[in-house]
Amino acid sequence: MYDLVIVGGGIIGVSLAFKLAEKGFGKILLVERNYLGSGSTFRCAGGIRASFTSREHIVLMKRSIELWGELKEKLGVKYSRSGYLWLTYREEDLEKVKGYMRIHHMFGLDTRLVGEDFVKEVAPYVDTSKMVGALFDPLAGKASPFDSLYKQFLAAKSLGVEFLIGKEVTHIDIENGAAKGVLIDGEKIPARNVAVTAGAYSVYLLERNGIKIPLTPVPHHAALTEDFGRLFDPLIIDVASGAYAVQTFHGNVLMGVDVEEKPFGELSVKLAFLEKVVSVWSKWLPWLPNVNILRYWPGYYEVTPDHHPIIGPVMPIENLYIATGFSGHGFMMAPVVAEEMASWITSSRPRSQEAGNLVLSRFEEGKTVKELAVIG
Amino acid sequence: MCERVTVEDVERAIDMGFRDVESLKRYLRIGMGPCQGRYCVPIVLGILSRKLGVPIEKLSYVVIRPPLEPVPARLFLRVKKDV
Repeated sequence: MYDLVIVGGGIIGVSLAFKLAEKGFGKILLVERNYLGSGSTFRCAGGIRASFTSREHIVLMKRSIELWGELKEKLGVKYSRSGYLWLTYREEDLEKVKGYMRIHHMFGLDTRLVGEDFVKEVAPYVDTSKMVGALFDPLAGKASPFDSLYKQFLAAKSLGVEFLIGKEVTHIDIENGAAKGVLIDGEKIPARNVAVTAGAYSVYLLERNGIKIPLTPVPHHAALTEDFGRLFDPLIIDVASGAYAVQTFHGNVLMGVDVEEKPFGELSVKLAFLEKVVSVWSKWLPWLPNVNILRYWPGYYEVTPDHHPIIGPVMPIENLYIATGFSGHGFMMAPVVAEEMASWITSSRPRSQEAGNLVLSRFEEGKTVKELAVIG
Repeated sequence: MCERVTVEDVERAIDMGFRDVESLKRYLRIGMGPCQGRYCVPIVLGILSRKLGVPIEKLSYVVIRPPLEPVPARLFLRVKKDV
């Protein structure tokens, strides 16, 4: 009998396993149907920031950033507080980021407007000749998705967590309104608690148990160049298009931008994405057309109606917990989500009020999260 | 192998619990260099097959991501319509 079965071996599930194992919480089994990180974690950019525009995101991400620092100290995870830099070349975009900045300051985040000299210092290979201004967030940063998942996996394993990889949980075993375990290949694996951390795929899993969650997988795309020495430290954002680019710890440039996609659409590649992402970034990175693209892949954002995650119990079913719906921010939130989920599982309550606002029942009760300001 | 990975590194990683080629790729960076795994992935599959005692044809290959070989980014600026 397990004390907890975790369904889904992405960064959320693995972080939760490590967090609970560290606390000495009983017997844990994590089940991953493909390979660890194969859903969304290993497709993500690895950016980490607290500079959002809702109380819930800002408060939780401030805590998550503290915990990222602890993970670096404890496990040597590749994490760096190298900042986020929002680049603008139009006055209207600069006004927009000034609006964001006012919200950040309300919550004690030290984002600030920076000029050409500063940008040249932290991002020597960004062309500032068309820039009208930029916003910098010094608390933000980046981590390696591979390194942070694998180090927590190895640490959790050495603390006794069992990993079942390549097997699929087909159903949650629910009897008399309480989770009693999971089903794998028609066989029952009994457990006192079940946590679903299956990202976009959580919606399909819970559907088989007749549980509907307001979660929509939406395809997004990312491309990677060959690797170079230091180009730019912060994750950079082109405010006009919303495109991002980050130099990975290995030295490659990873870039993404929105292209038109259908909810529940299949993960398939589009030449139009490569055209758009190269053309947007060539404005700021004039050398980009001359370097090689090595790989390009799609992945899901699992989006909720208020673009905030679902964290906590699946009421009214007892002993069933869920953490999904990160709407593109799951990787950065993983440490704080693991902490909040551990609190729910061990003491039936969230650690912070902001996390308590993110329970699944908020959608039925009409208590969805409000953005502090709608800008632009 | 490329990315300066040795056979010993691969064997050690398998012992640590990385038992499929997709995980070995991401743990060791095999197959992430300029050839995108054309040279090393078959070698890694051979080691994996021997270590796990599973015939090589039963092991799956890594998912191939486009473009199939490194392509200068400027070519994508000339895309006129999606295919």
